[in-house]
Amino acid sequence: MGLSDQLDVPQPIKFVLNWGRKYSLWVFNFGLACCAIEFIATSMAEHDFIRLGVIPFAHGPRQADLMVVSGTLTDKMAPAVKRLYEQMPEPKYVISMGSCANCGGPYWDSYAVTKGVDQIIPVDVYVPGCPPRPEALLQGIITLQTKIQNESLKDRYTREPISAGASR
Amino acid sequence: MTPDEIAQRFVAQFGDDVVTDVSYDTATVTVPRESYAAAAMYAKTTRGLDLTFFDMMAAVDEGEDGFSVVTHLYSPIHRHHLLLRTTTPRENPTVPSCTGVFRGANWHEREAWEMFGIVFDGHPNLVKLLLSDEFEGHPLRKEFQLASRVVKPWPGAKEPGEGGHE
Repeated sequence: MGLSDQLDVPQPIKFVLNWGRKYSLWVFNFGLACCAIEFIATSMAEHDFIRLGVIPFAHGPRQADLMVVSGTLTDKMAPAVKRLYEQMPEPKYVISMGSCANCGGPYWDSYAVTKGVDQIIPVDVYVPGCPPRPEALLQGIITLQTKIQNESLKDRYTREPISAGASR
Repeated sequence: MTPDEIAQRFVAQFGDDVVTDVSYDTATVTVPRESYAAAAMYAKTTRGLDLTFFDMMAAVDEGEDGFSVVTHLYSPIHRHHLLLRTTTPRENPTVPSCTGVFRGANWHEREAWEMFGIVFDGHPNLVKLLLSDEFEGHPLRKEFQLASRVVKPWPGAKEPGEGGHE
């Protein structure tokens, strides 16, 4: 990223850089259950999150800025989520969509379900709901964009390496 | 062929150890576990039965009576059904594998093995199917403890008529 991750860039430049980043979020949909259908609905004509600069169909995690974990994460699937998250280039963001990805949801007592995706990767925004309506996901995206707008790239790149269970 | 006629074919072939029951126009045939795979082969290859379609296989925890294994077979020719059932004691549960008769039984038996701990003799690849590799225990057994429920009990009645809930 050059100097912006080493220096405190002046506020106007930071504004422009963050403004550019927040409206170009190539999204990688980790669809695991019914929330993925709501995610798809959010990407289609009626709700159309491309108007917010969220671009679906990233070619893979290596081309993505944002991962939306939508659905029930099982212990069997958890290593795959972690691996694909690690393949994403920095700066990267995670939205946890729906009760299952947030905390296990209706499967709180299951023997096979991970109790929240934040147990294996850091999450930026949690979207509640079972499943959340597309409007809720749009609100989550706007919340994330507000977070990106106020972000200092220097802080982001000098922080500790991400490890399992770490929070931002 | 009527369900009663199907049931009688199995009694004639496998003797008086076979228990039959007919409900909802479906025959349930319970065979001793030694003849379970043979009964599946008989159901598949016998002219008139022709139960060639392996629909599904499931296991049931019967408590002190051990486990039962139920296979649903269907005949696309005659359009009749069969529930082929066998039981195994709780200690050291083993059932002959049906994979030699129906290759589709492979994954069903792997699932029953990991969920109930029933060993299928003669299965070519009895390894975990759905659970993660490090998982310990057999989660669909009645005595399996759910860790979350130890911390926080189920908030309500588990069975109809339990106290506190109308």
